Amino acid sequence: MKNIKLDACPECDLLLNQSSPEIGEKALCPRCGYLLYRPRKQSVERTLALSIAGFIIIFPANLLPLIGMKLLGNSHEGTLWSGVMGLFNEGMWAVAVLVLMSSILFPLTNIILSFLISAHLYFNKPNKYLGSWMRWLQHLDEWAMLEVYTLGIIVACVKLAADADLILGFGLYAFVALLVITAMLASSLDAYLFWKHIARLHEA
Amino acid sequence: MKPNAAALAQGLIRCHGCGHLSKPTRLSRKCRVCGNYLHARIPHSVQRTTALLSSSYALYIPANIFPIMTVMQLGVTEQHTILGGIMALIDKDMMPIAILVLVASILVPLLKLLGISLLLLNVHYRWQRNARLWTKLYRVIAFVGRWSMLDIFMISILVAVVDLGGVSKVIAGPASTAFAAVVVLTMFAAKSFDPRLIWDNQLE
Repeated sequence: MKNIKLDACPECDLLLNQSSPEIGEKALCPRCGYLLYRPRKQSVERTLALSIAGFIIIFPANLLPLIGMKLLGNSHEGTLWSGVMGLFNEGMWAVAVLVLMSSILFPLTNIILSFLISAHLYFNKPNKYLGSWMRWLQHLDEWAMLEVYTLGIIVACVKLAADADLILGFGLYAFVALLVITAMLASSLDAYLFWKHIARLHEA
Repeated sequence: MKPNAAALAQGLIRCHGCGHLSKPTRLSRKCRVCGNYLHARIPHSVQRTTALLSSSYALYIPANIFPIMTVMQLGVTEQHTILGGIMALIDKDMMPIAILVLVASILVPLLKLLGISLLLLNVHYRWQRNARLWTKLYRVIAFVGRWSMLDIFMISILVAVVDLGGVSKVIAGPASTAFAAVVVLTMFAAKSFDPRLIWDNQLE
């Protein structure tokens, strides 16, 4: 039996004929409505470019002060890292580790993994780790929470603005740029195409 | 071959890593493309989800009873629970932000806890109606989970920024660990639930 022409829906296990929609179209599962496949334009090239851009911008976003406050002549600024350290020093190490992972480590590993995978695919280089990198990327994707962190910054700003003067640091602009880049990265990475490509490289 | 049957009924398993459809034999239980072990359904899905869910229910109580942060301003110490923080925002006439925090830290965790419980009941009692709607509920729960981290991130930013010695300071409270644990555990619970179980029970 040939398995190549068949596919199964990951959420309802319906056996389907493999579909190959054009760019701009999408394939939905007829039974449960799951988005099976939505091809992306120049997925490999875009992922490669965006991951390089993300790798550059993640450093100022993490190291420069995001926001600060001025109250009665005193001023103080905070970075992503100082929030983690602050929680750690207060004995909230579990929360500190969670914030560290979801706002710094996982976004960074996602960018690095996207870079490694797309670079190998772009130059058609097989690598025995491609499959596990891709798997890690798919697992970690959910745990990088930059967009939620952005919302946290907004809420914190509104709370602070009521009692003190706000200072918007340069790191905030870098952070917003990083947010836009990672969002574009996530939408340009076509997992279906990437797996196909990896399978082809393995067989060659 | 009947087009409208589950892939499993045809002896086919979709790899949860790369999506490759294969027919496992007694000798090979691994995916040919990515090397993952093949599982037709997530192993022990219901047991794992139930365990994670009951831990989240237990932790949900301390998360709401204890203060999530302590604000010290000019010698005055104020302790806020999750609900108290929202009340303070309403008192200060910051309705939109209050609603945002209410949705992210009260409604979303509740929706997740109750929603996953209902999904488990659905699978256990083999409810026959609206399988598509139940799958949608699963998708909403899986998507919305990470947004409850909002409160935790906001506290992390406040801890970093509001640190002016005796003038004003923010300290994270014990509820933040419990709340963060609820968010993480419900995310794992949603991940370990297999929506295909809903469809396996449909008699058609």
